[in-house]
Amino acid sequence: MAAVEGESHVLQFLKRVELLKQGAEARVYRGEFLGKPAIMKERFPKLYRHPVLDEKLTRRRTVQEVRSLLRCRKAGISAPVVYFVDYTTHCIFLEDMVGSITVRDYINTAQVSQKDAPCLEVLAKKMGQILGKMHDEDLIHGDLTTSNMLLRNGSVDRDVDLVLIDFGLSYISALPEDKGVDLYVLEKAFLSTHPNTEAMFEKLLKSYAASSKKSSAVIKKLDEVRLRGRKRSMVG
Amino acid sequence: MQLTQKLDLFPEYVVTQLLFKDVKNAADLRKSAIAQEISGALINPAMIVDPFQILVAANKALHVQKVGKMKTRSLYSEIIFNLSPTNNISEAFKKFGLSDGDGAVAVVLVHAAEETRSTDDILAKVDGQQIPVNQISCLTDVAKIKKLFKITPQEEHSGTLLDAVICRMAIKDVL
Repeated sequence: MAAVEGESHVLQFLKRVELLKQGAEARVYRGEFLGKPAIMKERFPKLYRHPVLDEKLTRRRTVQEVRSLLRCRKAGISAPVVYFVDYTTHCIFLEDMVGSITVRDYINTAQVSQKDAPCLEVLAKKMGQILGKMHDEDLIHGDLTTSNMLLRNGSVDRDVDLVLIDFGLSYISALPEDKGVDLYVLEKAFLSTHPNTEAMFEKLLKSYAASSKKSSAVIKKLDEVRLRGRKRSMVG
Repeated sequence: MQLTQKLDLFPEYVVTQLLFKDVKNAADLRKSAIAQEISGALINPAMIVDPFQILVAANKALHVQKVGKMKTRSLYSEIIFNLSPTNNISEAFKKFGLSDGDGAVAVVLVHAAEETRSTDDILAKVDGQQIPVNQISCLTDVAKIKKLFKITPQEEHSGTLLDAVICRMAIKDVL
């Protein structure tokens, strides 16, 4: 069983599987891994960065993502199972949530079909609950958007199983400021991606306040951060 | 009976698993393994939830061997080490490797895909009854696994025991 020279076996494997998405940070593939449907997230080298810095950053993002996924599971928050991590190519092999859709797509189709109100309310409530739980664990997602949340069953009809993904920018913090900023990022992403959803987001925050034990300080900070944001008056 | 599966990252190798219950000579088997008369990993099946768990451990072992980052001295001991949720090697061998008093054993072999590895030598050495590998859950000690892996009650709610175990196996080096 001598080591084979040349290109990494992981990279060779990735050449054989289907490329789903290419982002600025990573390439996402879909394929079968050890008999199970899987997603591979490859954080490829960024040539525009200094190589030493690139290696450090990429490794840190991979490690943070993987640690946070386990933290979520331990707290009872749905997150994909990690099957394998290759720290040389910074590639994460995860469970593929077959049949799931992003919350983003769900909201868009629900709005188009116009019978949206009750399902979106259920969804907002669930989102608030999950985020409340996450922040109670002092876990900051760092990149909350509706594209980073999946509905495992593809609907809100039966049990709403909301799955959080993409924890590359996550970190641990007990500060209400950081949690407030986390929610602010979501608010901005939410309102810009989904027009006319202010009421839905309000319900989300209400549900968050009800589920999280430390929420009042966080909501207070969120209001402060909103006043601070871009194109805001810095008066008094 | 036995289960042979391929590894997507290493198409040149396959992993064969065998399972035995009512084993009478666990101590002898252990001695044989240490003397390198058996070319395989001898695992305590009480700590295994599903054959997938073994596959994940074998995949990781082959990977670290290829990149030169093994923590133990051989591929087979690395497979046993990978099954453990901690980075303590001796604890891994104690908890997941075969012990002298064990009444069942799971044998894991890694070999080249083309060569049909005969399992007669293994069958001859084990004094016990071979059972299908996919029946391994009958031998699983769920309570012991939950305790060792520190599975929280909320975690059991949102996923299977196998999910919890696999996740910890995959992440333990950076925990």
